Amino acid sequence: MSRAAILLSAVALVSIAPLLYMARVSLGVGNSLPIAPSDWWSGGFTLDHYRALGSGSGMGRFALNSLLVTGIAVPFQILLSAAAGHSLARGRFAAKGVFLGLATAFLILPRQVTLVPLYLLFARLGLLNTYPGLILPHLADPFGVLFMAHYYQTLSPELEEAARTDGLSPSAIFWRIVLPLSGPGLAVVGVNGFLTTWNAFLHPLVLTTSESMRTLPVGLALFAQSEHSVDWGALLAGSTVATVPVLLAFAVFQRQIVEGLLQGSGR
Amino acid sequence: MSGDAGTRGRASSASRSYAGLLPWSLCFAVFGLVPLLAALVLSFYDMNPLRPDLTHWIGLSNYTRALGSPAFWHALRTTAIFVVGTLPVTLLLAYAVAALLSRLRRGEVFFRAAIFFPATLSMVVISLVFKSLYAEQGLLNGWLTALGVPPVHWLQDPRWALPSIMAMDVWASVGYYAILILAGRKTLPPPLLEAARLEGMRALEVERRIILPHVRPVILFVVLLNTIRSFQIFIEVFVLTRGGPLDSTLTLVYHLYERAFYHFEMGYACAIAYILLFLVGLILLVQRRLIGRAPAEVPAS
Repeated sequence: MSRAAILLSAVALVSIAPLLYMARVSLGVGNSLPIAPSDWWSGGFTLDHYRALGSGSGMGRFALNSLLVTGIAVPFQILLSAAAGHSLARGRFAAKGVFLGLATAFLILPRQVTLVPLYLLFARLGLLNTYPGLILPHLADPFGVLFMAHYYQTLSPELEEAARTDGLSPSAIFWRIVLPLSGPGLAVVGVNGFLTTWNAFLHPLVLTTSESMRTLPVGLALFAQSEHSVDWGALLAGSTVATVPVLLAFAVFQRQIVEGLLQGSGR
Repeated sequence: MSGDAGTRGRASSASRSYAGLLPWSLCFAVFGLVPLLAALVLSFYDMNPLRPDLTHWIGLSNYTRALGSPAFWHALRTTAIFVVGTLPVTLLLAYAVAALLSRLRRGEVFFRAAIFFPATLSMVVISLVFKSLYAEQGLLNGWLTALGVPPVHWLQDPRWALPSIMAMDVWASVGYYAILILAGRKTLPPPLLEAARLEGMRALEVERRIILPHVRPVILFVVLLNTIRSFQIFIEVFVLTRGGPLDSTLTLVYHLYERAFYHFEMGYACAIAYILLFLVGLILLVQRRLIGRAPAEVPAS
């Protein structure tokens, strides 16, 4: 093994070890943390903490909320991004530069600025503690639109023009010609949308006050602050549950995640 | 007749472009632009949602209050310490990891994945795992005890709480920035490197004279991104310390959150938010002056 590979093995170990530790504690017996290295293997394994998650702790409900919010928000994000991105790439109208400029500004801008007005707006509209309230803010995300606008600029419009001379309506062109050609771009938008929605914290924290509407990250963070001694097994089992979908997405879409990151989908 | 169809085609293609833009623009306006402007307006008001009838205009009072408040300056100082403490470490490590990754002949895919993966995780999960590592009876204190060193109250001791969060931040961000720097390295034409090697340049010299100047824009971008992200630290503080002990980990956004949602000082919180916005804008401006290019223009791999 080369010297670089040996050094990188050490780095990789440091970056993965905390997650292995998380999984180990979640499978451990009792609530105490295994601290001696020998405990790692001899401490015993059980699924008790996962079973407990399903009943009582509310964690099952949080996971369900997260699944629902992400499952609805991401397809809409994909569609809105494709439609708006396509318009921005193909359209010739004066305000185009304004749209692109505003979207880019929002990409960099600290999102916390909109927190208080959104809370007040949603309180007024009765959207606190509702699924629409948790989903809608994600649909304003500018990353997908900018990414798709760029994507369509690199896609030749010939096919669409040919379809137009054949008499296809604009919406038929969008659904039947443009969307089927958008797969690679939409995969980037989709997986990055999934990560930001699934991991979202500050807005879901503020926009929910009832326990039954919490998402997984919010539920976990508040569970960790309960007055009683911390139930590490349950907490890290919940963390593992929150991590598994991310791990699956990473395994399948790592290339798209990196591409999104390079194009500015920072969190 | 064909001319007629052509005109209609052009007209409908113009309306088509608006139609496609409409759904997203609506969401963007209602959940992005309007709240952004509303925050500016609110920052000039005294506003408590529990007593909306008492809402009234107070001009710049929220801003003068913030600039005169010790908590605000303390939060700003905490942020500054955070940036100065984490940025050099994160940058050096990320640069080294990227250099090592580019040197690999085999296994790059595996190592890249292992090192990058933490960047995709929820910050809540990362914070909870580190909370367990930093716990009184946690792994780190277990090791210290085994070495005969008395345990450290990582998150309860005002001297250790901020450094503990900073260490976690370095762990969580090295992979992310390493991938950015690696992508920058890969835009270097391979023939250039070949030529340098053929001329007998040593690896370290190639690194210093060819690669480093080439990835300079990416490095400046990393500096910018890391600084802006440090200004927005919230989850780490919320999960690990709630700003304590003795305000030692109070950050700007946590301060904003507390003011808005514990004390219901919505106008004041908006003023803090706009000061944050101003500071981030200032950093962007300085960065523009320094390297004269938009942050979105990172060379793609």
